[in-house]
Amino acid sequence: MTTTPVATAPRTTASLTTTPMTTALSQGLTLAWRSLIPLRNSPGQLAGLLFQPVFMIVIFVYLFGGAAGGDRAGAVAYMLPGVLVQVALMATITTGMNLATDIGNGVFDRFRTLPIARSAPLMGRILADLLTLVITVAVSLAVGYAVGFRVTTGPLGVLAGVGLVLLMAMALSWGSAWIGLVAKSVSSMQGMATAVLLPLTFGSSAFVPATDMPGWLVWWMDLNPVSHLAAALRGLLGGGLRAADVWITLGWTAGLLALFAPLALRAYTRKVR
Amino acid sequence: MKYAIEAEGLVKRYGDKAALDGVDLRARTGAVLGVLGPNGAGKTTAVRILATLAAPDAGRALVGGHDVTRHPARVRELIGLTGQYASVDEKLTGTQNLVLIGRLLGLSRTAARARAAELLARFGLEEAAGRAAAGYSGGMRRRLDLAVSLAGRPRILFLDEPTTGLDPHARGELWDVVKELTADGVTVLLTTQYLQEADRLADDLLVIDRGRVAAAGTPGELKALAGGHRLDVRPLHAADVEKAEAILGVKATDGTLTVPVHDLAMPPAVLRRLDDAGVVLAEHALRLPSLDDVFLTLTGDTR
Repeated sequence: MTTTPVATAPRTTASLTTTPMTTALSQGLTLAWRSLIPLRNSPGQLAGLLFQPVFMIVIFVYLFGGAAGGDRAGAVAYMLPGVLVQVALMATITTGMNLATDIGNGVFDRFRTLPIARSAPLMGRILADLLTLVITVAVSLAVGYAVGFRVTTGPLGVLAGVGLVLLMAMALSWGSAWIGLVAKSVSSMQGMATAVLLPLTFGSSAFVPATDMPGWLVWWMDLNPVSHLAAALRGLLGGGLRAADVWITLGWTAGLLALFAPLALRAYTRKVR
Repeated sequence: MKYAIEAEGLVKRYGDKAALDGVDLRARTGAVLGVLGPNGAGKTTAVRILATLAAPDAGRALVGGHDVTRHPARVRELIGLTGQYASVDEKLTGTQNLVLIGRLLGLSRTAARARAAELLARFGLEEAAGRAAAGYSGGMRRRLDLAVSLAGRPRILFLDEPTTGLDPHARGELWDVVKELTADGVTVLLTTQYLQEADRLADDLLVIDRGRVAAAGTPGELKALAGGHRLDVRPLHAADVEKAEAILGVKATDGTLTVPVHDLAMPPAVLRRLDDAGVVLAEHALRLPSLDDVFLTLTGDTR
């Protein structure tokens, strides 16, 4: 048989991690590009991505904000950071869904038969989702501006606030990836992730302050990291920041990451062997 | 290297069920090995192990001289796989699917585009090149899948039931591609449920049944296993079928009775006895055993 000299560098035996870092990174970037293509191929996908923040903001500001007593400027100032957090966190579902889709239809197995870095498919997924998230957050801020939301702090506040949201979303993405890797199907993945994220985002003080509510709900809202994330973002964009909210958010983020990243990585290594 | 694929004593259990229960197989370099067996026989499990997608519980396998469990990365540099499921990304166009794989294999953007165009032309997909694969027909998708698995110019190709669900025309096209590949010296391991396909394409055959090898050899050798000639007779009148069954001592399938021929004096005698009984025949034919007969003999499975 003619053994084609495929490897440019001589590889040592046995190890699975002989792929050089730069090669692994470029493969990850290629796979991230692949994950973003559908946005370009089908206008519907892109529209769907942009529609969600627009829809949420309009619903909350005009529908619920209007019902809350007519103070629209106040409603916008309170709710927009909440909506932004909600949209960003719900978007983390796609990480697991896309992984589950790739596993279900054999695309993942195709990647596994290629001589590429074992980590590349997961890395590509996370990079692509991070970029999508940045787009979502930027759109949310732009729509917020259009409906009257104003940043009163400054660019640093915006950067810190957006960074905080992205960090928490990243931590949850790992959870989403883990569910996506162990779920039996795409729909069961979606069901599980929604069951976790809905109470987390809506059962928080992101949209309404925790006043005039039953004690158990106030207790839960105060415990819920999403409440603190929304409050921190509100403070970083509009002033009146409570440092505690930032610390509690960071603490939760670290905790979630410490829990989910190893779980996801373990499930992933089992899949890619 | 005489054998591109060599496996010994492969065992794979799922729960307490053994999907593979000690399978040995060898594929000669540059030849087509057909792995034949009914649904659930263990064909796909064997391919998944050889293509580094699953680890065997026991046994060992060399692909291109490399151990699949110890040096999977080496094996992956040599192989291509087309599964029963079309493993292309449906949201990507034909071109994008091919460019993606080319880029992952280290081709430059220009080289990956050129390779994609070349493969699309070869598989008659130029017109569909810019459309998302989700809109492809079953046959087109299978062709794209095969094109993708050839992007890296593999020396060893696994085709897991590549023609299942395809119409006869698409099936014929795929057969032609396999023949071209072997002409280029590529080793092909092909699993199939279709005896005709195995007969047509395979240089060597392996029959798997319930996780074990039931038989191995060339199609000719396997046919010899099923014995000598066969005599098929088909009574003209449906009412005569039962009478003919009683005379010949075999059951009819679709109105045709098949009797093994032990010596060549037998067919005239059989025909005479039927004639004496007043059974008018619409057809009778003397033939060599088909792979269907082999299958029947080996697995006791009526196909």
